[in-house]
Amino acid sequence: MGNFHKLLAVAQMKWIGITKNPVIMTGPLFTVGMVYVYKIIYQMAVGGKLTPGMMTLLLNLGLTMNVCGDGFMMVGTAIAEEKEKHTLRVLMTSSVTGIQYFIGSIFFPFLITAGINFAVLLISGLRMSGEFVPVFLFVSLTASLISCVIGMIVGICAKNQMSASLVGTPLMMVFMMIPLLGSLSDGLKRISGFLFTGVLSELAGAYAAEGSYTLQPLAVAVLVGELVISVLVFLILYRKNGYEKD
Amino acid sequence: MEQNVLLQLTHISKRYKTELALKDIGMTLHKGEILGFLGPSGAGKTTTIKIITGQLKPTSGEAKILGTDSSNLDASIYEKIGVVSDNSGIYERMSVWQNLSIFAKIWRVKQSRIEEVLKQVGLYEHRKKPAAKLSKGQGQRLVLARAVLHKPKILFLDEPTGGLDPSTAVSIHRMLTDLKKEGMAIFLTTHNMEEATKLCDHVALLYQGKIVEFGTPKELCLKYNRKKEYRLLLHDGREETFGQTPENVQKIAEWMQQDKIESIHSCEPTLEHVFLQVTGASLNV
Repeated sequence: MGNFHKLLAVAQMKWIGITKNPVIMTGPLFTVGMVYVYKIIYQMAVGGKLTPGMMTLLLNLGLTMNVCGDGFMMVGTAIAEEKEKHTLRVLMTSSVTGIQYFIGSIFFPFLITAGINFAVLLISGLRMSGEFVPVFLFVSLTASLISCVIGMIVGICAKNQMSASLVGTPLMMVFMMIPLLGSLSDGLKRISGFLFTGVLSELAGAYAAEGSYTLQPLAVAVLVGELVISVLVFLILYRKNGYEKD
Repeated sequence: MEQNVLLQLTHISKRYKTELALKDIGMTLHKGEILGFLGPSGAGKTTTIKIITGQLKPTSGEAKILGTDSSNLDASIYEKIGVVSDNSGIYERMSVWQNLSIFAKIWRVKQSRIEEVLKQVGLYEHRKKPAAKLSKGQGQRLVLARAVLHKPKILFLDEPTGGLDPSTAVSIHRMLTDLKKEGMAIFLTTHNMEEATKLCDHVALLYQGKIVEFGTPKELCLKYNRKKEYRLLLHDGREETFGQTPENVQKIAEWMQQDKIESIHSCEPTLEHVFLQVTGASLNV
């Protein structure tokens, strides 16, 4: 890309914006903190070492909270703030293109989300065997990316930070709660299999129970399909009104 | 397009559903020229800027900016223009310096240029301050500093001094005059007639989406100076207004010889009066 410096400038600007915005930064810190606190509570309850089932619960909680909440709220809220403060239009009339803004906006949120996925894996106490690492990498990174793209969709639809929360929260609840409640209902479990967060959750559960996980074609299709769909939805919305409806 | 013509509008119209916001607008902007687009709120000034800068498409007509049709602008054009509007935002969580540093990276401008423009707008001492802590006037100066950071060929200013205190407005005027001397073309929309008279080489009076008059501020004021009058303040405190008749001229000459006159002013109309005469409406609506 000939104008890589513009992309870097947008990414840097987003980094400053995200790290200095307590509303946005609370999410990732809360996720890590919550998993850690639950771990301590579980350890106190069993009086020592956690069972694989407990570790799975911790990992599941951390991954779904992070991918659902942090990823798209981080991206969506940051764009909404730019609209609210009238800086997005300034940026778009300063020679930054839509694609540069897109990549620059999701770069650091993606890294943060992916990093927190690994952090909660470490906190949960589950230890990965060598062959599990690439699968976990593929699933968690793809899920993080989907989450950030959904964040862009939230941002494009929202007028301000308040409406970003209003648009984002129902989506967050759907993607987070269905996999978490999957164990309580067959219907929800079936639906969960078609959600990227469900694939992530299934991976955590299967690994804890069996010590290994084979990525099924359906899971790959769900991850790739939902990534493609989210990018397409974003592109359709972007082509219709740009980042801001005039 | 002539080499010095940086912006050319030809028969531009814009319709929003049923409302015709711009009607057959045409004008040109040359290098080193300040063109004022004057009109009351809702006259179509901001719509015109949005069309020129590619943020809106015209319903008909053609806007050419730096030789490129504004309907097909690519990102590179934005490297050659600067845009300031009354709601241009700043990154409040960043410092003043960071606000400019990000855009310096986008435009590949040397960091030393940041120091230069911050000094020009009088914000250098505040460079480490979070932008959220700036006053409205300082914020507007930061927006202007950002818009001229990359030395654009054309600067679009949409009500740049709206709501600012007089001293800030004066410092912005001074800066605009300096930029003009450097060859920058400035497209200024305002409903402040004094500002337009002071700064603009040419003005277009816009009313209900139509240019109703065009010329230099002086030309327009003289064109509508139909009833030539002089306002006098005499030493005894009396204020008198005289029409230009042979008797009055003689009387004024006599008073001058007798040193009875404290001050004397010709009463040609201001741009505001011109606007009122042409449209029958006030500008500050």
